Amino acid sequence: MTVKDHSSADDQALVRAAQRGDMAAFEELVARHRDKLYARAYSMMHNEEEAIDLSQEAWVKGWQRLRQFQGESSFGTWMTRIVINLCLDQLRKHKRQRTESIEAMDEESGGVERQMPVVMVNPTAGLERGELRQRIDRALGQLSYEHRTVLVLHEFEEMEYKEIAKTMGCSIGTVMSRLFYARRKLAVLLADLKKQDSV
Amino acid sequence: MRAKLGRTIGVGWFAIALALLAGGQVNAPAADMKLQAFLLWGTDDSKPPEGKDYKPVQLDVRQKLKDLPLKWTNWFEVRHKDIGVVQGATSPVPISEKCQLNVTRGIGPELEVTLIGKGKEVVRRKQALPKGEMLVLGGNAPNSTAWLVVLKRLE
Amino acid sequence: MDHDEQLKLQAFLDGELPEGEAREAAEWVARDREAAAMLEELRHTREALAGFETGTQLPESREFFWSKVQREIQRRETPAPEPARAPLFTVLRRFLVPASALALVFAATVMVIRPAGPLGGTAGTEIETALSDSGAFTYRDYSAGTTLVWLTYPADNEDAESDEIGTLE
Repeated sequence: MTVKDHSSADDQALVRAAQRGDMAAFEELVARHRDKLYARAYSMMHNEEEAIDLSQEAWVKGWQRLRQFQGESSFGTWMTRIVINLCLDQLRKHKRQRTESIEAMDEESGGVERQMPVVMVNPTAGLERGELRQRIDRALGQLSYEHRTVLVLHEFEEMEYKEIAKTMGCSIGTVMSRLFYARRKLAVLLADLKKQDSV
Repeated sequence: MRAKLGRTIGVGWFAIALALLAGGQVNAPAADMKLQAFLLWGTDDSKPPEGKDYKPVQLDVRQKLKDLPLKWTNWFEVRHKDIGVVQGATSPVPISEKCQLNVTRGIGPELEVTLIGKGKEVVRRKQALPKGEMLVLGGNAPNSTAWLVVLKRLE
Repeated sequence: MDHDEQLKLQAFLDGELPEGEAREAAEWVARDREAAAMLEELRHTREALAGFETGTQLPESREFFWSKVQREIQRRETPAPEPARAPLFTVLRRFLVPASALALVFAATVMVIRPAGPLGGTAGTEIETALSDSGAFTYRDYSAGTTLVWLTYPADNEDAESDEIGTLE
């Protein structure tokens, strides 16, 4: 029995084969896009185990819904949206289980981020890529779920405000406030990290 | 006349219904309660030991185990068995050469689960197990690992 | 600078302003140092985040991750067992019992009041007995519907941990 080599096929061909039930074709798609999907899940959840589980679940759902994919976007983008929605569901579950964060209360009262002084020097200038990623990872980990989510959807998923509002089930005004707060907080955290490291 | 006939028929059906009830036949005989029993091995290693054909644990079971106060990072399935238990009957679930789980069905969602190790009853637990819920028995295993027996009631 | 102005600056950076407003914002930034500084900070943060996810790798091998995905797909695709057909007498009973509301209500009432089964007790009772040295303790997660019974006697193996009682963390 000859095993078809899918490694040279493009995504479109693989998707068509997988839609006809070719699991090996789907496996190739998983191999190609799994890192990107995991990265997005990790950015949102900031927890490795949860990100792995949610990625896995996203791939299972991707297989189940494959017939619905009509090529309106790239396959990678379609899968990323699936994992984002799973992450959002999980985050909503987390939110029900924890008390309201101080950040969220501050944001609603609209005070904290306005009081943070502007960070004048670029805190990431001169950093190596690996070091920069580490600092951003640490800083992102200190944001609340809501702030990290809006940042990920805007900066990584490149969604517009309106789309983020629809995805998160909030107003555009809330999206803008959260994004502003998240960016300002991140700038201050990165500046603080730079100060700590230089001491 | 019609009214009298109607009443007679009604009483007749009522009597039949009562006769069925009196015979204790009203309840349909309880269908099998469908359970899945898993024997799991818990470890902080990312892989099972060499030569062991353990599989990664099912996602839904893994997610429920995450919420329990268990320190091990990874769980692998050593074996699993689908069982159906009828009311009043006991199903044995062999775990290892020395251990066995006996599952006895009570009324409705009630189960009695007995863990027998080396011929002795180690623990017996009676509780309801509604659809979708899990009962987990566990303990330490050699080399800082753990064993779990998971009983999951199927939808 | 008030909050609305700050958000306008951000929207300008993100290309979310209509053309006319974007032009006004550009002019404002050109003449206002505070606005320029704020915009610069927002821009630095955006640049820092660009490419953050590039290079992130799923920390499981291709084969292992795929085996989990494939297994889960196959598990969900396994058809559920067919429900048992209703016994003949149940069909007959439905056929025989008339539309008489009184008989049905009576039957429903009697069905709820059942004699104790072989295990006795009432639904919802939890009873546990254990060997005295098994150290069994129980943990219940109500939201997930999971009960854990942990037995803390040492593992049965000469390679096992010492005699100290095993614990959960």
